[in-house]
Amino acid sequence: MLSVKNLTKSFQSPSGTVKALDGISLDVDTGQFVSIIGKSGSGKSTLLSMLGALDIPTSGKIEVDDQDIAKLSSSKQTAYRAHKIGFVFQQYNLIPNLTALENVMLALEFGGIKSSARRQRASQLLNDVGIDAAEQARRPSRLSGGQQQRVSIARALANNPSIILADEPTGNLDSETGQKIFDLLHNLSRIKNTTIIAVTHDLDIAGKTDRTFRLKDGKLSTI
Amino acid sequence: MNVITRGIKNSLRSPMRSSAIILMLAISIGLILSMLVARSSVESKINDVKANTGTNITINPAGVQGFAGGGNPLTSDQVASISSAAHIVSTTATLSDQMGTTDTNLTPSLTLGSFGARQQRFEGTSSGTTGSTSTDVSVSTSNRPTPTPRISVTGTTNPNSVATNGGNLTIQSGTAFNGTSSDLVALVGSSLATKNNLTTGSTFTAYGKTVTVVGIYSTGNTFQDSGVIMPLAAVQSLTNQSGDASSVIAKVDSSDNVDSTITNLKSTLGSDKVDITSEAQQAAASVSSLSAISGLALAGVIGATIAGAVIVLLAMVMVVRERRREIGVIKAIGGTNQKVVSQFVAEALTLTIVGAIIGLGLGVVVSGPMTSSLVSSQTSSTTTTGIPEVGGAAPAFRRGLNQLNSNLTKVQSSLTPQVFVIAIGMTLLIAIIGSAVPAWFIARIRPAEVLRSE
Repeated sequence: MLSVKNLTKSFQSPSGTVKALDGISLDVDTGQFVSIIGKSGSGKSTLLSMLGALDIPTSGKIEVDDQDIAKLSSSKQTAYRAHKIGFVFQQYNLIPNLTALENVMLALEFGGIKSSARRQRASQLLNDVGIDAAEQARRPSRLSGGQQQRVSIARALANNPSIILADEPTGNLDSETGQKIFDLLHNLSRIKNTTIIAVTHDLDIAGKTDRTFRLKDGKLSTI
Repeated sequence: MNVITRGIKNSLRSPMRSSAIILMLAISIGLILSMLVARSSVESKINDVKANTGTNITINPAGVQGFAGGGNPLTSDQVASISSAAHIVSTTATLSDQMGTTDTNLTPSLTLGSFGARQQRFEGTSSGTTGSTSTDVSVSTSNRPTPTPRISVTGTTNPNSVATNGGNLTIQSGTAFNGTSSDLVALVGSSLATKNNLTTGSTFTAYGKTVTVVGIYSTGNTFQDSGVIMPLAAVQSLTNQSGDASSVIAKVDSSDNVDSTITNLKSTLGSDKVDITSEAQQAAASVSSLSAISGLALAGVIGATIAGAVIVLLAMVMVVRERRREIGVIKAIGGTNQKVVSQFVAEALTLTIVGAIIGLGLGVVVSGPMTSSLVSSQTSSTTTTGIPEVGGAAPAFRRGLNQLNSNLTKVQSSLTPQVFVIAIGMTLLIAIIGSAVPAWFIARIRPAEVLRSE
């Protein structure tokens, strides 16, 4: 269960204080697939970074499984990211000199999984998202965009997170591949009962999620 | 795969850049080692100079210089207190005398000349000037005995003290005597021996006693080669000056202690009783130029360390800036600052260690010639002993090998474990400084930056 109450985030700019998020409240049940749409600069990435404990809100509460993550110390935030959150980025953000398998193993290492168990688990996760053994041994530069995003999803799932935060997960993919990635995420939310919050431009995709919100000028509204 | 493996793997990500960094590091680490070796060689040379140059101090009775001046000889008590003074390593006591024609059957090998005659112009005048002082110069001059050349006799505890080059006396034949004995034996200077047809085993008369020649010496100094050297105790008993010495040469443990020893001896013996001379200034002058080289080498060590640290630092700052996004991703997926920093330190250490291995090898090869050029006197001593060889390619090659071998030997003597440990310590310092600033950069990278789409 994710509960956001009256969340604000302000930045200081030369022209004065800018409110990137302005009193956002939101409740998401476990296993729901939620999409947030909005134009550039509407505060989508800011909201994701608050939910993922990458940044601290100016005011308000973010409760994940009854824990207010806005009040966590820096080291606890890191542990929260390792165990409770999985990130999927628009540009995949895989480590370029590690193979697909090693990229997933890296997340398992941060999740505290024993080194002997990492390889097998990473391989299983990659198989689950459709990356075969030959592709697992490749570096990201030798994988297609869709394959890279699958690896990125496997990495996000590595430590069985409560929430997957996806920032434009299909933004760099053609519509067919984008659809496949969306289906993959959708299935995961069903099978693994993982909450997925995806920020997207793609209204087609947004329309197929359980709930859709629009973010405009830092304010959130239901569609 | 852990942080260390990732760090090592990352150091190979850009082979060209890594090679360039390693090469630059190798040069500065090589320089550190060779400068440390040079410094260590120079320091040992300085200690050598301090122990051997200007460490002799000469103690004469106040007012006496050679056979000139006036005063009383040093007593056996004074000689004993000099020997037992602090920092004195060894002493050589000498008692000089001159034998006239009535004292010996030897014929002097030196001709008197006008200088010798002038030296004796006051002698024998005391008998002619008894009673009222005479103003008639011509009368007193006519009363003088005819000047005769004399033979100098040196009684010494160490025959080598007579050597004029500061080294050992050259014994042409026979052997040196034991300086502590009181036997009536003598080493005869080569000129005097030739003049009197003396050889080892010959005898001559001195002060009414028969003295046996045990050896013939040569110093290359005409005055010394016309004299006789005998054990100190023998001369003391022959001239009825038991326990007396006309001069004591004392060796001090280091030229640094010469001044304090002189002050100490003057207060013990009385500054009005003895005149003390030393060559401490000369030693200080030769040490000061070596100290300057040692200082230069130290500056080189510091400079090369700073250069090495700056190379690693700039390289790592560049790498961190380049991988800013990647660091953000690692943090976003749960990597701690400590893990990311360790990974970059491992990368910096890998570059430094590879650079150090190459650099230390380079340093061993380079430090020989570098040290030789800094302390040129070291090489001159080795070249003089070399056997001249016929020209040609093979001998030239052999000479090159010999030179390299001599360099390596020289370096090995200075490349002590201590120097090596310092060099490795400096290398670690480079890696630590080179990683510390990038680590600070890493800690400042906010993981939220990865969500900014470019």
